[in-house]
Amino acid sequence: MSLLAPAFLLGLLAIGLPWWLHRLSSTNPNKQKFSSLMFLEPGEPRRVLAKQVQYLLLLALRIGVLALLALAFTEPAIWRTPQAAGDADGARLHLIVLDGSASMNYGDRWDSARAAANDVLDDLRGEDRAQIVLAGRQFEVLGPATTDVAALRQTLNTAEPGVFRLEYGQLMRSIDGLIRTAELPVVLDLVTDAQATGLPTRFGELAPRRPAEIVIHDVTDGAAENWTVDSFGASAVTGELSASVRSFAPDAATRTVTLTQNGRTVGEQTVDVPGHGRADVSFPALQLASGSNRVEVALSPGDDLTGDDRRYLAIKRPEPRKVLIVAADADGRGPLFTSAALETLTTLALTPTVRASPLGDPPLLDYSFVVVTDVGQLDNAQAAAIKEYVENGGRALVATGPRSSSLTTLPITGQTLRTNPQMGSGQASVAIGEVDATHPALRGVDELRAANFVRSVNVEKTEADSVLMSLADGTPLLLDRALGNGRVLLFTSSLDREWNDLPVQPAFVPLMAGIANYLLGGAGFTSEAALGSTLSVRALGFAGAQIFDPSGDAALGLGAGSDDVLLDQVGFYEVVGGGTSELVAVNFDPRESDLAPVDATTLERWKGLGVRPGESATPVTVTSSTDRVPTSLGPLLVMLLLMLVVVESLVGNWHLRIRRGVAA
Amino acid sequence: MPAGSAIPQHLLEPETLAGLANLDLVARAVVNGFLTGMHRSPFFGFSQEFAEYRAYAEGDDPRFVDWNVFARTDRTYIKRYIGETNTRLVILLDASASMGYGSGKVSKLLYGKFLAATLAYLAARQHDAVGLIVFDDKIREHRRASTRGGRLSGVLHAIDRAQPGTGTDMRIPFERFHEVEHGRGLVAVISDFYCDPDALLKSVQPLAYQGQDVILFQLLDPQELKPVLKESALIEDMESGQTMEVSPIYMSSKYRDRIGEHIEALHKSAMRAGADHRLVNITEPLDSVLRSYLLFRQRRG
Repeated sequence: MSLLAPAFLLGLLAIGLPWWLHRLSSTNPNKQKFSSLMFLEPGEPRRVLAKQVQYLLLLALRIGVLALLALAFTEPAIWRTPQAAGDADGARLHLIVLDGSASMNYGDRWDSARAAANDVLDDLRGEDRAQIVLAGRQFEVLGPATTDVAALRQTLNTAEPGVFRLEYGQLMRSIDGLIRTAELPVVLDLVTDAQATGLPTRFGELAPRRPAEIVIHDVTDGAAENWTVDSFGASAVTGELSASVRSFAPDAATRTVTLTQNGRTVGEQTVDVPGHGRADVSFPALQLASGSNRVEVALSPGDDLTGDDRRYLAIKRPEPRKVLIVAADADGRGPLFTSAALETLTTLALTPTVRASPLGDPPLLDYSFVVVTDVGQLDNAQAAAIKEYVENGGRALVATGPRSSSLTTLPITGQTLRTNPQMGSGQASVAIGEVDATHPALRGVDELRAANFVRSVNVEKTEADSVLMSLADGTPLLLDRALGNGRVLLFTSSLDREWNDLPVQPAFVPLMAGIANYLLGGAGFTSEAALGSTLSVRALGFAGAQIFDPSGDAALGLGAGSDDVLLDQVGFYEVVGGGTSELVAVNFDPRESDLAPVDATTLERWKGLGVRPGESATPVTVTSSTDRVPTSLGPLLVMLLLMLVVVESLVGNWHLRIRRGVAA
Repeated sequence: MPAGSAIPQHLLEPETLAGLANLDLVARAVVNGFLTGMHRSPFFGFSQEFAEYRAYAEGDDPRFVDWNVFARTDRTYIKRYIGETNTRLVILLDASASMGYGSGKVSKLLYGKFLAATLAYLAARQHDAVGLIVFDDKIREHRRASTRGGRLSGVLHAIDRAQPGTGTDMRIPFERFHEVEHGRGLVAVISDFYCDPDALLKSVQPLAYQGQDVILFQLLDPQELKPVLKESALIEDMESGQTMEVSPIYMSSKYRDRIGEHIEALHKSAMRAGADHRLVNITEPLDSVLRSYLLFRQRRG
């Protein structure tokens, strides 16, 4: 017998407590005879520590209870030989786990998988049972464990691979429950293509938690060649489409990339893809139809894994949106550069308007966002109007400039300004230092560091501010701050060329595109979701909607109890509601495209984590001896503990009755 | 030990007497030793029969000088008498369990046995009839008062056989006495008197009406009079077996008050019943107790 958690033996120290309590006595050991109690009065009983323990039977029971309790926590187990643990005729349970990941769609792998599973069924002996499990994103048990081979074959014929990715560590964790509840020793027959990308980070996660023999049926047949479109996107600035074609084959190949928009071919290019390399292809911006557009690229000729030869992108043509540029001089360079940059963002369909004041007609609420080229130009009323606009949910880009030099407090946001001691001479220039490239406004914006800054205002940063960009000397250059229900981006230099040369740098337009995209709500104009994620109707802004899956079936009907739909198909999901519709593109997981198998050594090590084939009749733990199995004594101890508790209660009650003088 | 031999006073200490195996020997030692030292005591001569003349010695009571002889001879002689049977002594000895208590070598019962034997011997020596009732919650021994030869020996043996018994019932011996003994006499009751003083009064009073002279010897151990406890103790009643946790503070203060009140109440009850009450600390020599008895006898005689 051994203890799996011997540290709990320290609990035996608790035995000292009843030992001490049983020595504690209210009976005074100083007993004296006296003629008569006639003139005596009882005093306060004194508790004394007697030399000898009292109520030995009760003490023994209590010590027994505590000892059993401590012992139960130590998880005692006896190790038994296979003959003792297993059943006499050596019957086993074969858990046939079919890898149902997307890569199993490659060529005839699924047929091979079925054949391998049928071979396992053919080899069943005597009272052997089998159970079929389909493992993809979810762990699907296809029927109970049975000896009925015909039923198992029928189940096998109905199983099909999915489009999800399989991670083997997750698989071993999921299958633990089946092994634990198995009445027979388990043989885990894993029918898989043993993709290297499916291995967990820690090799130890491949070990079964319960003893089981691991048999891996590798269904790969030689080297598998595959080409895939592993990325597809559209530039928010130009609308230009770009795709990347990746090869998982040793030799270079030529592939034709076809671009279709709403089912109509709108472009086609041929690319040479090097062996185990990548080739990029781009298409000009599309003439988008109103609403969402189904845009997809496809490779031809196809290969044996068709699911990853096509990639989808939902692109929505935005409605024209008005932007107000507030500038004291409508002909100045600041509004000029800004409006020119915004007008080039065709994908955003922005219409900039330059005005000297934010007040007037049309009102500010008509504009999607506001740009203030020099906040120093605003009087109090104008600043208050913009502040009110932002607090009510509006967005604004506020820049500084020569008119802001004398300010100590920034209008609109109320931020404190400090003079910048290193700048202002007009001679020394500073480049951009840190850039938060993860922020939506700056994502994909390059070459910013080419710009030179000769002057900026130094804003005292508070906890409410996020610094998205700062100069090399540490001065915050672009800050993000929430104001009421709206948001303000503060650019601490000018938008003309007075204080920097950013407006004439190539990065200016992408920067303005990123800022505009962020100020418009950050939704972008493309829509894509990960396979296996959930799509929420409310998250898309619909109060109620129907969702149709790529095959056109209603995945979520009106009045359904849930707002969420599991995206378990590749293609376009369409959300229809409120008179409009949205498209969400769902694509194949690129990791399933890499069909490189786990090397043979790793596979052998994985098999070694289970029980050796010769000992297959006996489940054993991976981390201990392989010739004996532990059988927990916990249930036995708990039963014994309960019995002792009952007896202890009876004996204790009996003692109490005696002490109270109740007739037993 | 021959009668009349002189015994040093310290030999009358109870603890010394406890070393003597024979109760008869104890009685003789006490009485003879006591009488030897009584040359200057007022108790000699309570009998009326003339015994002898003796030259007056310093310290003799002048009342016993025979003035007629002095007138004739011009010498002073003391006129001595020998005793004669003119009364009867019945000893009621309590042999209950509580009498077995003793903090020293001598228990109350042993002391009581010494006292009873001594009284019996003294009475027999003066030719008084001696009777005995040994009791606890019932009559254990009963020897009717008699002056027949060998009577003393029987009484002493009965006393010697007394062992601590069970509880105490004071009514029993007095009722027995009332039923059996008729005629006037002396009654010496030896007990620790752990009883209700009023109940005792009811028991004693009929004897007083009968013309008996009753003396109550209340024997108490020093630990009963002034108990000293170093720490709280579980006290067990020797008669009932009940136990009680008692604190040393109580024993050194309130208990002493209560036992004192009890003794006082007993004393008053005895007085009301026309009896004498003598508190005896069982560490005190027997001669002082004997002196009390003789004073009592003289007073009643």
